[in-house]
Amino acid sequence: MSPAKRADRARILMITEGTYPHAMGGVSSWCDLLISGLEDFDWQILPITAGERSQTELYELPPHAAVVGRIELWSEQLPRRRMPANAQRRGRESLPAELVRTLIGWKGNHGELLDALVWCRLRPQGVRRVFRGARAWELFLKALAEVLAETDPDAGPAPRLDAVEAARLYQTIYWIARTAAVPTPQTDLLHVTAAGWATVPALVHKQLFGTDMLLTEHGVYVREAYLAAARSPASQGERFLNSRLARGLSRAAYTAADFVAPVTEANAAWERGLGVDPQKIRVIHNGIEAPALHSDPPGNLKVVSVGRIDPLKDVQTMLRVAAEVHRRVPGARFEYWGPPTKGQEAYAGACKELAQRLGTQEYFQFMGSTRDPHSVVRDADVVLMTSISEGLPMSILEAMAQGRPVVATGVGGVPEVLHGCGIVPPPGDVHAIATGVSTLLRDPQLAAQLGKRGFARVHRCYTQKACLDGYRELLGDLAGVPLAA
Amino acid sequence: MSPNGNRTDPPAAGSHEPQHAAGVIEARLGRGAQDVLEAAVVLEAWGGVRATRALSLGSHVVPPKPPRWLPSRLTGEEPERRESILSEALALLMAILAVASWAGPLSRQVGASVLEQAIVIALPATLAFQWAIRSRYLSRRDGLACLARDRLPLLGAGLLALTALVTFMGRSGGLAAIFVTIWVGGTILARRGWALPYGLLLLGTLIGLESGRDAYAWLGGLTAIVLIAGLTAVWTGGGQSQEPAGRVGRALWAGAIGAALGCLLVGDPSLGWGVHGAYPGIALLPSVIGSVWGGYHLWKLYDALPRGLQGMAPNEGDERDPRGSAMKVFLGSLLRLVGTTVVLSGLVILIGQWTSGTNRLSLFVGFGCVALVTMLVNMLESLALVRWALFAALAGVATELSCSEVLLVHPPVPGMALIAGAGVGILLSLPPLLKLLLRPGRVLATNLWIQ
Repeated sequence: MSPAKRADRARILMITEGTYPHAMGGVSSWCDLLISGLEDFDWQILPITAGERSQTELYELPPHAAVVGRIELWSEQLPRRRMPANAQRRGRESLPAELVRTLIGWKGNHGELLDALVWCRLRPQGVRRVFRGARAWELFLKALAEVLAETDPDAGPAPRLDAVEAARLYQTIYWIARTAAVPTPQTDLLHVTAAGWATVPALVHKQLFGTDMLLTEHGVYVREAYLAAARSPASQGERFLNSRLARGLSRAAYTAADFVAPVTEANAAWERGLGVDPQKIRVIHNGIEAPALHSDPPGNLKVVSVGRIDPLKDVQTMLRVAAEVHRRVPGARFEYWGPPTKGQEAYAGACKELAQRLGTQEYFQFMGSTRDPHSVVRDADVVLMTSISEGLPMSILEAMAQGRPVVATGVGGVPEVLHGCGIVPPPGDVHAIATGVSTLLRDPQLAAQLGKRGFARVHRCYTQKACLDGYRELLGDLAGVPLAA
Repeated sequence: MSPNGNRTDPPAAGSHEPQHAAGVIEARLGRGAQDVLEAAVVLEAWGGVRATRALSLGSHVVPPKPPRWLPSRLTGEEPERRESILSEALALLMAILAVASWAGPLSRQVGASVLEQAIVIALPATLAFQWAIRSRYLSRRDGLACLARDRLPLLGAGLLALTALVTFMGRSGGLAAIFVTIWVGGTILARRGWALPYGLLLLGTLIGLESGRDAYAWLGGLTAIVLIAGLTAVWTGGGQSQEPAGRVGRALWAGAIGAALGCLLVGDPSLGWGVHGAYPGIALLPSVIGSVWGGYHLWKLYDALPRGLQGMAPNEGDERDPRGSAMKVFLGSLLRLVGTTVVLSGLVILIGQWTSGTNRLSLFVGFGCVALVTMLVNMLESLALVRWALFAALAGVATELSCSEVLLVHPPVPGMALIAGAGVGILLSLPPLLKLLLRPGRVLATNLWIQ
């Protein structure tokens, strides 16, 4: 049930993608903080999931929030019929062709994309019928050939695709059309939490009702999609299509959004580089609840890392760093807290094999999930992060809030957060990272000093209150409803 | 230019930065960058270059030629899906053997007309349930887990349907309800991997019936055991899978198709279900074994179709190809079905004492035609042409019933109406299927992958 509109209270439709309220993680925690902390609004949650049934809600929703539906991406479920069947029969055979031109083409036309997506919403039952038609498939192939023949120095030459890749893209485009067809409830503001699939229902809603749209990016969606594609064993064709699709969705999100709220200045730089009007960007940092009192590191030579086991975290570099540090500081021990990302079990296996090859099992342990990251971090002398892509990592804020010194690679918002209170080596540089860690382990005074600085910086710049105040102001402005003092 | 068309700063004249950047990309990816964005992302993540500079450099390092071409990658076939089909077919075979072997003692105890009516009700009802359950649940990789999620409403609906049978159809309805429970339960038990104990239960019941024990007591006991075992199988075999179930609407269509095929099997009174003892069941056996083998082979379509299209240009894959992978799999299934049915039917006819009274070729031809129309209709359904599949099956039933009316007094040979009905079903389902399978690229994109 959607919360009914109450006088002077704005309704906000938050669209999530693979996160809140069905999965734990940084983005979900942020959603929870926002929804629980901003009681001035009525929150309508529309999660997009991978079509998994009986998804349990892992967060307890406050009374002013409700899940208003769920979009399943890969299931066979069809959107609700909203018109008489004969009215739905008027097909739009060019629909798949229009979507491939606008989403995969290097210079897709935003207006044409919106027009196609809105058609899907108005004729939900027509979507499947169109995509199953022979003529639609022929037009799609023609449009795909045109897209592949595009010439643009920035785009580079397109790889050759085969029939299987074309059919797979056709299916993916169908899922996008189906996502666009799902109805959205009446609302006063659209809040999209990723510039990917979550954008699709918001684009249609905005086009139909003129509702304002806010986009929050924790990472930069298109950047992460390119990184994932670059490292995947997929064929060139598949890689090309996946990354182009992510780019198409992000472009649409950036064009449609009235405001973009990245969590760090580093993301804002990407967004500006990707063509977002700087006037539309407002950085709002993540916030954390920090203890009032600071405590010194325990002096146990323990190095802790908290995060998923994922290629983006570059755990293999961390293992090599551990080997190097242990050579320099023989008593050093490492703990990695966090489960493998779903679908990255093979990577986790490869990490464990590497640990065996390097002989680090004695002093490097994979600890699994933790429900108490505060005490895990508090029990460390140094907190380490070797990621190759980050937004504004909560695990670093956590370490700083506990007064622990941090060594973290200089990606995303890390240099900005750790400014003057941590060591920031380049990503993948085993020697530099190991030097940072061993320096702090050998010099407890320096470690304590950096920890204190981090603690103070969190209290100054990254509190939950500052984060909530930032959003309260922005959301209130966009929703156009005066907020209670 | 930036990825979105904004101007970016070029590198200083004479700068080696672009060459260095290209080197970093080549070292990290083992190839040139796909486009300016990939270049920028790699330079930032592994080259330590800040986003703005990386985006600006990216446009200077995109290679002019596409990378060396490699065909698409496919994940392997899912053997467990084919295994599940095999186990369900095994359950069907056992059910038919049970019909054949129980017919004699049952007709002696409950009366031939009651038994005939029970089978006429039970076969279509069973096939309807089996097709619906398969469409929504059991055709999934984690079929039992999907089924387990809806177990209570399903159990309620099933019990309601069976109660209606008992209430409105009297003794034959009660017997039909027992058959339906045993056969549908068998499908679930076989899917759980409990086919052997299920087979032993059926055998034990045969021994009980042959020894003259009370038929209702024995069958009632078996029904209770199968029901409890079926519930246990669903409760314990589900696991934690979150695979989505199929659409309810689609399952209802599939159920209707199953019911129509069941009606085709029992619509010709000259077959003598329940009247001619074991004979109709025995005559059905060769074609069922043939369709099991044919159907098992047909599951290769999901794997063979994309594999046959790998490396083919999209337009090339859309051309008519009578020797394409889809046609090959289809013809392979057809040969298996027809060949097995012909050979085994010949064998059964040769064993004269077993089939005396029904050793007419027409009966075996009729059941062979039903097996063929079942396979064709099944293919249409799996390619999501459900309306056409149902139309073909219903047209077959209508033809069979009309012929039965005409030939009721003096049928020239037993099973004539069945042959006519199944023949119409084949004629209606074959052309659209061939039309689809001739274009493998199109059928993959518009039928197989968009359900």
